[in-house]
Amino acid sequence: MELLTRAVPGAVVVETPLRARPAFLDRDVDLCYIGSSTERGQAIAASALAPWRDEISARIDDGARILATGNAPELFGEYIDCGDGHRVECLGLFGVHAKRDMLNRYNGLFLGKYDNIDIVGFKSQFSHMWTDSEDDDEALFEVVRGAGRRPGDRREGLRRNNFMASYLLGPLLIVNPPFAKQLLRDMGADTNELPFERAAMDAYDARLREFRDPKTGFGG
Amino acid sequence: MSFIRFIIALWIGKLMRAIMRALGRNATYLPGAAALRICPEFLARAGKPEMIISVTGTNGKTTVCNLIIGLLTRNGVSVLHNRLGSNTVAGIAASLLSGCKLTGKSRFRTAVFETDERTTRLLFPHVIPNYLVITNLFSDSIMRNAHPEFIMGVIENALPNTVKLILNCDDPLSSRIAPRNARVYFGVDRLDDDVTECVNRINDMRLCPECDGALVYDYRRYHHIGRARCPSCGFRSPTPDYRASRVDFDAMTMTVSDADGECEYALLSDSVFNAYNQLTAVAVMRELGYEHAGIRADFDSGVTIPSSRYNEERAGDVTVIMQMAKGKNALACSRVFDYVSSRPGEKELILIMNDLHDAKKWSENTSWLYDCDFEFLRRDGITRIVAAGPRALDYYYRLLLAGVPEERLRCSVPELDAPAHLEFRRGGSVYILYGADAIELAERVSAETKRVAEVSCHSN
Ligand SMILES: [Zn+2]
Repeated sequence: MELLTRAVPGAVVVETPLRARPAFLDRDVDLCYIGSSTERGQAIAASALAPWRDEISARIDDGARILATGNAPELFGEYIDCGDGHRVECLGLFGVHAKRDMLNRYNGLFLGKYDNIDIVGFKSQFSHMWTDSEDDDEALFEVVRGAGRRPGDRREGLRRNNFMASYLLGPLLIVNPPFAKQLLRDMGADTNELPFERAAMDAYDARLREFRDPKTGFGG
Repeated sequence: MSFIRFIIALWIGKLMRAIMRALGRNATYLPGAAALRICPEFLARAGKPEMIISVTGTNGKTTVCNLIIGLLTRNGVSVLHNRLGSNTVAGIAASLLSGCKLTGKSRFRTAVFETDERTTRLLFPHVIPNYLVITNLFSDSIMRNAHPEFIMGVIENALPNTVKLILNCDDPLSSRIAPRNARVYFGVDRLDDDVTECVNRINDMRLCPECDGALVYDYRRYHHIGRARCPSCGFRSPTPDYRASRVDFDAMTMTVSDADGECEYALLSDSVFNAYNQLTAVAVMRELGYEHAGIRADFDSGVTIPSSRYNEERAGDVTVIMQMAKGKNALACSRVFDYVSSRPGEKELILIMNDLHDAKKWSENTSWLYDCDFEFLRRDGITRIVAAGPRALDYYYRLLLAGVPEERLRCSVPELDAPAHLEFRRGGSVYILYGADAIELAERVSAETKRVAEVSCHSN
């Protein structure tokens, strides 16, 4: 988030307090960002967003630009199976559900594609995502190496119009400058030059070389 | 039958231990692992001391254990401990094994076990401590520990309700653990440097744990440590039973007060973290019935904290200092950055906190860099920072985003080339910040730094 506000002079960040009406429902926001939280935080967020479900759905259909990372994508699926008999009901905007395994944390690297852009990132999470209904929703990334929505799935994340969601940490935009530039272009920002772009690209190129090297383990 | 199995496990473990020690090896893990493999009930069956103090938490548990062991030993108590070994189940099994007679009965009456937070789940069903000390719960490695609320749940679920807790009341998270267990709190009064808003990137307690309302801090030390309250429901940090006040880093003293009076102690170290560690040890000793005067005398006669600054040496015009900074632990690195950048004089830094094990096996998850306060490193006394090692480019970019002026930064993937990028300003210091698994590499970088420092001094 910080990266984008620094890239775009005069960018304004509106933070929505929990349980308040999300700002992007009423005003034209260029990008709405929602990040990772604890398991308790997820339950709080799910109940805090529930009253706005239909409006959020309508805004996504209208092309509102939303980026959800870490475990935030799960909030937009049907529910989270906590693995202990409990369930967290989510917004149900996508035909997927998540399942936690609190004794086994998944740690892995990720290499994938966003259209023609190479994506790198990390995963560190208790849960994975299962696809329940195959409608016309796209995945955000195509998997080249590593786990998708769940290990073995070739699709990572969720995408509908300008709604984008992925488990990837990085931070996603920081470790993927070409993706961040594409996002700025799509948002119609005056510039898509990133701060310290050269240093960002050097780190990205080095990581890409490493992740493509078959000798590099991917974990899981 | 299972008793025989236990005796076999004990004897084989003891034999292994004897052989390993004869070979000069550290027998603090494998004999325990072997005994557990032969007899999965080993922990339950092994003889245990009557008094067991278990110390866990994200930071400071090793230091607190060392202090308690030192203080008890001064008082003639023979202490069973896992100080030289591992803080996992196998490490504690190895320690119990070494403390058992051949019959399986314990030779010790007192034990102090440093316990990894996640190990409590496997340990407490069988080895029930009398006291559990929790130093604090912070974000640690995201890959290993996820987040502190998760770790707190792991400990809470494992905790028998007979255990008395010794807790940090300045940590609004861990101080709330297991409300039905008996407990005492320790805490440090407001300090001159305390703030009210969080200046750190990691802040694990934004919301009231009772009602999810926004928490307000009367004062805040770092991250979520401080005195918190909730304006909506009235939740507030507990009051300390063992309270450190008048903490004075110039005079190097602090006063500890409790229900029986107060006592002035000489501080063992100039960091706030260690003031907490010392206070924690005092609280434990007081709980065990020792008097302030005696505890103070034991500190004065040499129970102390080994310096985390290691191998401080003059070379050419500068002082070269090795300082460990646990990589992938954003909070530990933030504390080190804050400490180093506030030392007096001009400083140059070499950063080699890369995880060498990850670099061999796969590639380090560097997302922790963005939870870590690299912003401390833009302070003026720091004239040069060299990012080195496999993740040098990631550090370099992070430092730029933190606002460190580009002209102060250099980047070198081969670690041993890093010293050549330093300026060696007269009277300044060079800090080598290295990861927990990189001490051998850090020593080579340090040697090279000293060599280059001598050369540049003579050529001036
Ligand atoms: Zn409250």
